[in-house]
Amino acid sequence: MNYQYIEQLIERYWDCQTTLEEEQILRSFFKQDDVPMHLMQYVPFFAHEAAEKNEKLGEDFDKRILAMTAEESKTVKAKQIKLLTRISPFFKAVAVVAVILTISNIAERALQNNSASGTTVGVTDTYTRKEDITAKIKIIDSSQSEAMAKTDSLKQAPAINKEDMMLE
Amino acid sequence: MEEISFKNDVLPLKDKLFRLALRITSNREEAEDIVQDTLIKLWNQRNEWSAIRNMETYSMTVCRNLALDAISKSERQNISLDETAHDQPDTSRMQDEVLMRQQQMDRIRAIIQQLPEKQRTIILLRDIEEKSYQEIAEIMGINLSDVKVNLFRARQTLKAKINKS
Repeated sequence: MNYQYIEQLIERYWDCQTTLEEEQILRSFFKQDDVPMHLMQYVPFFAHEAAEKNEKLGEDFDKRILAMTAEESKTVKAKQIKLLTRISPFFKAVAVVAVILTISNIAERALQNNSASGTTVGVTDTYTRKEDITAKIKIIDSSQSEAMAKTDSLKQAPAINKEDMMLE
Repeated sequence: MEEISFKNDVLPLKDKLFRLALRITSNREEAEDIVQDTLIKLWNQRNEWSAIRNMETYSMTVCRNLALDAISKSERQNISLDETAHDQPDTSRMQDEVLMRQQQMDRIRAIIQQLPEKQRTIILLRDIEEKSYQEIAEIMGINLSDVKVNLFRARQTLKAKINKS
């Protein structure tokens, strides 16, 4: 197998003439098992780089930092707000629909009542009132005429008496 | 501008920051403390996040500065190689080949640790974090040619020492 390309790459690597992609090729090459003897001395260097890349912090680190920044609770709160804000337009819509329905219902009933009996009620009222008034007027009239009749009879009475006396 | 979330955008940088701090201090506990300090510092600056062009670059700059402060305070710039060796797993039962590979890697680690901090950090940012020269320059607050010169020196040293072995 010809390793000329890799040999050239590694020389260019030491001279800082390789791109990030070419450096990636070198890392992949030295990761494999069958590296030729004359390039073996570079294996530990690239293996060391791969090992360094695995240096990581423990899982408890996140918890500690989040507790310190109180970000965790904040995120939960943010989620709650999000839920509410997501639901609130629905509630608003329901409320608006309810208000419209109530108003239209009331308006409908009022309209129905008006068209069915609303105006006649007024008229009958006036009629009854007129009748009442005329009835009352009649009563007053009749009582007045009764009273008049009584006075007439009273006026006539002495005349009768006079006549009686005349006859005597 | 896109909103930055601490949990989703800043916290996941922790391992990169840890490797950077570890490269500079060579002490796991100290590196972890530095990453924690970096993240808390970033959290406290959350009102200014919108002004930060690249959170990753910025956080690495903060982390490097804190790590440099830490080593200058403790004057631990020349790290003992024994400490790294302590971190290695028990090698007694390892096969010869694996053991040999481990020792070779430790040797590489030792060579890198002997490099000046600037070269050490540039090697990490380029080879492990796969950053462009421009990004390295931004993180370290140095110019592009400075990055190239330091990387060249570091690689030449590594090449010479690896070939000598």
